[in-house]
Amino acid sequence: MSADVHSLIGPYVLDAVDEDEHRQVEQHLTECESCTREAAELREAVWRLSDITVAEPPQRLRDRVLTEAGRTRQEAPPERRSEPGPDAGPAPAAPKRIPRMRRLFALAAAVLIGFAGGVVTWALAQDPGTSESDRIAAVLEAADARVSTQDAEGGGRVTVVHSPSLDEAVVVVADLADVTDDRSYQVWLVEPEGQVSAGVMEPGDDSATMLVEGVGDAEVIGVTEEPAGGSEAPTTPMIADIELGA
Amino acid sequence: MPRRDQPRLAVAPDPADDSTEALLHRTALGEEEAFAELYDRTAPRVYGLCLRVLRDPAQAEEVAQEVLIEVWRTATRFDPERGSAGAWITTIAHRRAVDRVRSSQASADRERRAAAEAAEPEYDSVAETAASRLEHRQVRRCLGTLTELQRRAVTLAYFGGHTYRQVATLLNTALPTIKSRIRDGLIKLRDCLEVAR
Repeated sequence: MSADVHSLIGPYVLDAVDEDEHRQVEQHLTECESCTREAAELREAVWRLSDITVAEPPQRLRDRVLTEAGRTRQEAPPERRSEPGPDAGPAPAAPKRIPRMRRLFALAAAVLIGFAGGVVTWALAQDPGTSESDRIAAVLEAADARVSTQDAEGGGRVTVVHSPSLDEAVVVVADLADVTDDRSYQVWLVEPEGQVSAGVMEPGDDSATMLVEGVGDAEVIGVTEEPAGGSEAPTTPMIADIELGA
Repeated sequence: MPRRDQPRLAVAPDPADDSTEALLHRTALGEEEAFAELYDRTAPRVYGLCLRVLRDPAQAEEVAQEVLIEVWRTATRFDPERGSAGAWITTIAHRRAVDRVRSSQASADRERRAAAEAAEPEYDSVAETAASRLEHRQVRRCLGTLTELQRRAVTLAYFGGHTYRQVATLLNTALPTIKSRIRDGLIKLRDCLEVAR
């Protein structure tokens, strides 16, 4: 299914899909950051095709458009993410040890793609108002947020934004080495007493974004490759180990 | 690890910046003069694309007007981090033109117009500026790097306003092949035009 949707990205950027397929692709893009990037890149090529068809419109079009614009109200801009206030503080007694892996959230993905590339963006916030994306936004906006990025062994990149005051971190895993469907990447909190799972990615996935609650006194966030569904403790060497509070 | 500043969009437009992005930003701030300038820069592209897809000057003019008003109305939603202003505007134009093609009204109009086909002006020979001729050549050259099937699939979809299913029928080729030829073709085009990040 997902592979099927993915193959529609080319037709999608050409507006050559039907409405159902259009919706499926848009949904897919909110969950797949590399696909969002690919679609954006292809669009930058596609619009240049219109170089070939440039044609002078009649003068009356200019008059009509400018007149109509003069009496057309402009839309409000998209809402900005809320600033972290007292309400955006640490979640009360979040169940710390339940592994939670969240699929990509558009907001966090956009922001973190930006961090990784040295350019920053807000506007992929297609999923406003959900508590997860709000909480991710709160971590990203926290005054004490620290951003660390590391290239993973075998390819790809792991980015961690950690807010000690919120006791939460956002982990973005992007484009790791391909794994087969019987393997999963797993994220770990490395604490003085040992490693605790912070979440398991979908089998075969190489990219994801997650909110880690209750970072506590973990020193490192690490990633390993495990059998699908994850392990109790790492069974392979870490492919990335990001120090917290460095 | 140094902490990066929080992301913020530019607060105020630089009046010396005459990029299309800057014009769009000033348009979003309600500056009608900036929109007029934006119109002059982009209307030939918007109109020309609508004309190519719809092949009917009257409909192209109508759709181009809708597109350009939409640009004015929704300029507030443009985000330069997601893509260029040219891509944003052209995407709106193409989508609107294709919507028109696919609406039942358009098919009725096109049938009605078929009779008057001979009266249609020769729009492909429209005079161009030197700059656009240069860009034009680059796109043609890059299209030339595609295989014939890739090129036909991409141009039938984009300029013909056909869905990939219709393209598959027209080219008598299997659907999965068409999907991947379109994607390969676009990737090749992207690399040739050097628009990758």
